Amino acid sequence: MKLKSPVLRKSGFSPKVFLLTLSMSIFVFSATAFAGTQTQQSEQDSANSAAVEQSSPTDTATIQSDSVSANSVNETETETQADTTDQAAKEDTVFNDAASAKSEPAGEERFSHYRNDIKRGERFFRGLLPQNNKQESCASCHNILPSDTLNWNPSALDIANKYIEKDFAEFKAVVMEPSGGKMAEVHKDYSFADADLKTVKAYLDDLSMRGPAPVKPTIDRLLLFLFLGLIITWALLEMIFFRKIKYKAIPLIIFLGVFSYQVKMIYEEAVRLGRSQGYEPEQPIKFSHKVHAGQNQIDCKYCHFTVEQSKSAGIPPTDLCLNCHSLVREGTRSGKFEIAKVIEATDNNIPVEWVRIHNLPDHVFFSHAQHVNAGKLDCIECHGEVAEMDVVRQVEDLSMGWCLDCHRTKEVQFVDNNFYESYEVLHQQIKKGEIDKVTVDMIGGTECMKCHY
Amino acid sequence: MKEQYYKSLDDLIYDARQASSEPDAGDRKSILQMKQESKSTGNSRRDFLKLFGFTVASAAIAASCQQPVQKAIPFLIRPEKIIPGEASYFASTYFDGIDYCSILVKVRDGRPIKIEGNSLSSVTMGGTNARTQASILGLYDNKRHKNPTYEGKKISWEEADDKIMLFLDEVKKRQGKVVILSSTIISPSTKAAIREFLDAHPGSEHIQYDVLSASGILKANEKTFGQAFVPAYDFSKAELIVGFDADFLGTWLSPVEYTKQYAKNRKLVDGERSMSRHIHFEGGMSLTGSNADERYQIRPSQEKLVLANLYNELITLNGQSGLSISSSPGDVKQLAAELSGKKGKSLVVSGANDVETQLLVNAINELLGNYGATIHTDRHLKLRQGMDEDMDRLVREMESGQVEGLVLYDVNPAFDYPEADKFVSALKNVKLKIAMPILGEETSEHVHYVCPDHHYLEGWNDAEVKTCVYSLAQPTIRPIFKTRAAQESLLKWAGNPVDYHTYIRKYWEDNLFAGSGETSFDDFWNNKLHDGIYESGQREDGIQAYDAGAVEAALAQVKSTSGGDSLELALYTNVSVGSGKQANNPWLQELPDPVTKVCWDNYAAVSPKLAEELELEDEQLIKINDFGPIPVLVQPGQEYKTISVALGYGRLNMGIPDGTVGQNAFPLIQSTNGTKQNHLPQVTIEKVDGAYQLARTQSHHSMEGRNLVRETTLEQYLANPASGNEVRETIKAHMKSLYAQRKFEGFHWGMAIDLNSCTGCNACVVACSVENNVPVVGKEQVIKAREMHWIRIDRYYKGDPDNPELVRQPVMCQHCDNAPCENVCPVAATTHSNEGINQMAYNRCIGTRYCNNNCPYKVRRFNFFDYTGADSMPGNTKDPAEMTTDLRRLVLNPDVTVRAKGVIEKCSFCVQRIQEKKLVAKNENRTLNDGEVVPACEQACPADAIVFGDLNNEESRISKFFADERNYHLLEELHTLPSVGYLTKVKNKTI
Repeated sequence: MKLKSPVLRKSGFSPKVFLLTLSMSIFVFSATAFAGTQTQQSEQDSANSAAVEQSSPTDTATIQSDSVSANSVNETETETQADTTDQAAKEDTVFNDAASAKSEPAGEERFSHYRNDIKRGERFFRGLLPQNNKQESCASCHNILPSDTLNWNPSALDIANKYIEKDFAEFKAVVMEPSGGKMAEVHKDYSFADADLKTVKAYLDDLSMRGPAPVKPTIDRLLLFLFLGLIITWALLEMIFFRKIKYKAIPLIIFLGVFSYQVKMIYEEAVRLGRSQGYEPEQPIKFSHKVHAGQNQIDCKYCHFTVEQSKSAGIPPTDLCLNCHSLVREGTRSGKFEIAKVIEATDNNIPVEWVRIHNLPDHVFFSHAQHVNAGKLDCIECHGEVAEMDVVRQVEDLSMGWCLDCHRTKEVQFVDNNFYESYEVLHQQIKKGEIDKVTVDMIGGTECMKCHY
Repeated sequence: MKEQYYKSLDDLIYDARQASSEPDAGDRKSILQMKQESKSTGNSRRDFLKLFGFTVASAAIAASCQQPVQKAIPFLIRPEKIIPGEASYFASTYFDGIDYCSILVKVRDGRPIKIEGNSLSSVTMGGTNARTQASILGLYDNKRHKNPTYEGKKISWEEADDKIMLFLDEVKKRQGKVVILSSTIISPSTKAAIREFLDAHPGSEHIQYDVLSASGILKANEKTFGQAFVPAYDFSKAELIVGFDADFLGTWLSPVEYTKQYAKNRKLVDGERSMSRHIHFEGGMSLTGSNADERYQIRPSQEKLVLANLYNELITLNGQSGLSISSSPGDVKQLAAELSGKKGKSLVVSGANDVETQLLVNAINELLGNYGATIHTDRHLKLRQGMDEDMDRLVREMESGQVEGLVLYDVNPAFDYPEADKFVSALKNVKLKIAMPILGEETSEHVHYVCPDHHYLEGWNDAEVKTCVYSLAQPTIRPIFKTRAAQESLLKWAGNPVDYHTYIRKYWEDNLFAGSGETSFDDFWNNKLHDGIYESGQREDGIQAYDAGAVEAALAQVKSTSGGDSLELALYTNVSVGSGKQANNPWLQELPDPVTKVCWDNYAAVSPKLAEELELEDEQLIKINDFGPIPVLVQPGQEYKTISVALGYGRLNMGIPDGTVGQNAFPLIQSTNGTKQNHLPQVTIEKVDGAYQLARTQSHHSMEGRNLVRETTLEQYLANPASGNEVRETIKAHMKSLYAQRKFEGFHWGMAIDLNSCTGCNACVVACSVENNVPVVGKEQVIKAREMHWIRIDRYYKGDPDNPELVRQPVMCQHCDNAPCENVCPVAATTHSNEGINQMAYNRCIGTRYCNNNCPYKVRRFNFFDYTGADSMPGNTKDPAEMTTDLRRLVLNPDVTVRAKGVIEKCSFCVQRIQEKKLVAKNENRTLNDGEVVPACEQACPADAIVFGDLNNEESRISKFFADERNYHLLEELHTLPSVGYLTKVKNKTI
């Protein structure tokens, strides 16, 4: 059989070319990685919206309304101008329209009016309509966009999802005459016209069907990278062709400086690839560890009760929440809204889909029982001060280096646990005083097959 | 001259050529190799651009692979005792109409992933076989029926029930005949359900149809003991076992049970100084025959003659006058003398499905006083109850239109009935045909209604394997598809819509609870369900005393037999595919046959002498009568005039991955005197042009001519326990190193394999594949020697190629303490742990395969492709076992990494199990017990040939095995210091 190498040479495929290919691909690789810095958050949103798309059969109607009435955009614009001048008349028309829409649910006209309601509802919600000035706008408490700080009040989308199935009367009752607690206090002196509320309901229904607006990717790092690339190109051209700058060292220094900064960027991004330190996603329920583990001093193991027996610490089953929340139906800050989600989940037999934060690659076999039960580690050592967090954040980077650092310094329960009696030599050494402690790595804790198999 | 070991006939010829320094007659290239060569063209600029584009694109894709958002979805209400991330074990029962096994099912996070033996069972005693181990994949089979259908169209259960019941009512009014055709039913509750159906439809009948029939035994016992039954055999009590074509270690009746019993009597450890002796007569080379101390070749048609002569000799020895019978093809005088010296301590069995043969066997066993000692007539083995003539009668009745309705339960006669065409055409005369299969199969294509049954892991069931030895099966997963227990269907059609769980409980409460001694039925039920087994200790009664009358007639018939001299065809079942029920299981198809090492096909085994005579060679296509073409395999040890073909192959449209594997030999079966004969007395063969490539793992990994399997005879062993292993002392004396031998603090894991116990049944191979997510690579890749099994069973022939002895040796990673592989890895992906394990870090491996090259045992496996969908690059995938489909992937063990393309893998000593048990001990604040860590291979082994443990612990079983004088290491002269030891094979023969 012929060898392959001469064939390769003939075609001009040399190792050099291959290295070139490789380096180029690294560039492209890292560049695209920058584009992806807005990691999990946006994906979650798109996942949410996808779910909404699937679940709602009405959204085809919404899409249709977009395409059918092309002129509706113009109409809304003119009408919003009219809003400021003629309120009373508008209220009537809206009211009538809504009524007629009910009795006559077809045709382009209906869609365009419906869209007007939505638009008006949104403006109302955001507090952009003048009559709202005396009261705070809905949006001042209820987020429309996902925020980086914890807002205890349900977001617009949350409310929308909850009330899409319910009729206007119910919605109105909740807004105007809340049944108690925090909400009654905040919503105390609300006086909204039904017409306004109807537009708000229309807006919220629409929001629920559409799902959240996709977050645009942040590309600052990529732009910076490309800009630096331009500078490099200029510096190279300057050095070789233009030669306009008197001191040749200047473009060289610029080139080296910029290039090394680019290398640094690539390195940083490459290291960060696949890690998510600081990951702090929004959860389906605004559950605060600070309230539960911090203020109410509930032990971690009360909810994460398999931590001593299993690989997985376990997300508590929903019925465990009800141990307390069958009585505690209202939070001091969140009101009834968030707790109601737990009760609804149990009633409807639909488990809560939490977003997983601490996530190891599939080829790593980590056991909570090993670390918490056998190793007597405190939860804080890896998870940080969860009792201080309203929204849980991944504190450590969970990299292999981080694992190994700990395995090199952490002491095992060598004397207390009878399991380690098998290690006779080490016991003798302790007796003789040759060593004062046994760390994990001394009994093979840094070997590959302790975690990878 | 020293006797020569060889792995195949090619080896022998090769060695001969080497000796005579004759130039090789020509390099035999594989078809695939040639194909590749013709394809190879030079790399061009285009290729470079393609490569370049691919690199850029893949880098871009890889970089844009953001971490997906992972959801953590808890239980709404946590079931008691289910801990996420921890496995639970449920006792259950495997019975597929042929094989029985009491099992434990490992369930992780709601899905069954592994089957282990149930050590509480008195029948299988914790053993399993390859087919039981592999059966779990049947649960996740894309070919399963997913909902009830009517003539191929999907319907609802209600609709099916309504229409079927409407028809049954009409038939009932006419008093028409409805037949339930099933495989042997060992479940008492199912039998009760069938009885209910029969009672509700007078004139109907239940017929049991066995693919691998024991009608011969049933009828012979009916004649001698007045009842048709298969007795309970006890091989552990037999000091002398004489087998006639009965593959009792592989496929005959209850192989797991027999292997346990057989191996128990073959062990020479713990001070045991005696072992059983096994003499075997057969035509083809079977698993059991290859384990015998002495093996004699006879043609299937000569079996009766040999038995008659043996009987004659025995009665002569008893002082009675002998009969005049034409002389036996072999001398049985010595055997008769030996047998008469072991009265009550011997066992003669025959695999022939022939009444006269079995009558002779009964007569011999009666003469030897074996009834009550090694054969128990008061305990019946219930695994075979079908009478062949019933099935033949049914087909006749169907042809004449007497049968109005036919319910097929767990049978596939369109494939495995010898006259399948006749059956299928007779089906046309039946007005209502219902099939209740699990898997899509040949027969369901010819029926009106398919009412799919649960897989056995999804439903409730019970079993009475032997007289009053019960076991229970329980669901381990919610039914994946819209299936319903067949019993529920029958009960519903009988007008008793009850769920089968309630029905079984009721049956047990009414029939079995009474004698148990427990006070509450719930306690009784829960305890039995937990254990999986229940024995009430009752015995059969009403068995008549032995009646010799029928034997005379049999002898008279033998007198008229004249041993023909024509070619004969023997039909057998092999340990992997068996009867063909699991023929679409890729784990079983890729399992090399323990004798021929061929996988993915059946073939015609011919003797070397016959091959020479007829100028046949391996892979040459032939036709046997009208059957074939089928490739030839020259099999050392095959009887001169016998050709063997395996049954169970050739199933249509079973797709792994596409189409049919092998040839269906069932149509060759002929019936004589109402029993299916597994041999054809006169066949002609005809050469067909062309060759067909067989995938053999045989000549791969050959360890040329070295002292690998060490063996001795019992006589020599008793004189010197180290006999056969003398070379070890010499090697030990030379073991000097400049380096200090490494000490292992804590644990030093080791494994020992008793070559005397190992039968080569391959259960460990499948168990290892299931436990460690070992991929199936497909026939084409096996031909290229790329099979992935972490444990293989080498077998070597010894002596005369026409009648060789055979020895076997399981080989897995030897976990050398001075490992040649570790030194050559450029990226330190394989290193030694401080517990003596040769570790493999897949994520570090860059695929240089230096380790593979440097391993003297050739146990490292390289992933030439991505077989399990672990890779992010789609082009790397090769998927012969559908392992990239979501359904199939449910079987993967979440505790073991699924390897991607381009990495080396090998036996890890089941490190995940070691870690698991260490943690259990830590959490319970105690030291690890000996025998607590059980690797998958040891767990599965029905012969208890594998022992695993801590070498640092002087009290452990493994330390005792390593201290045994029989212990040696493979290629120990290389000073690799393996952690795997072998105990020499001791044969109980007088040579």
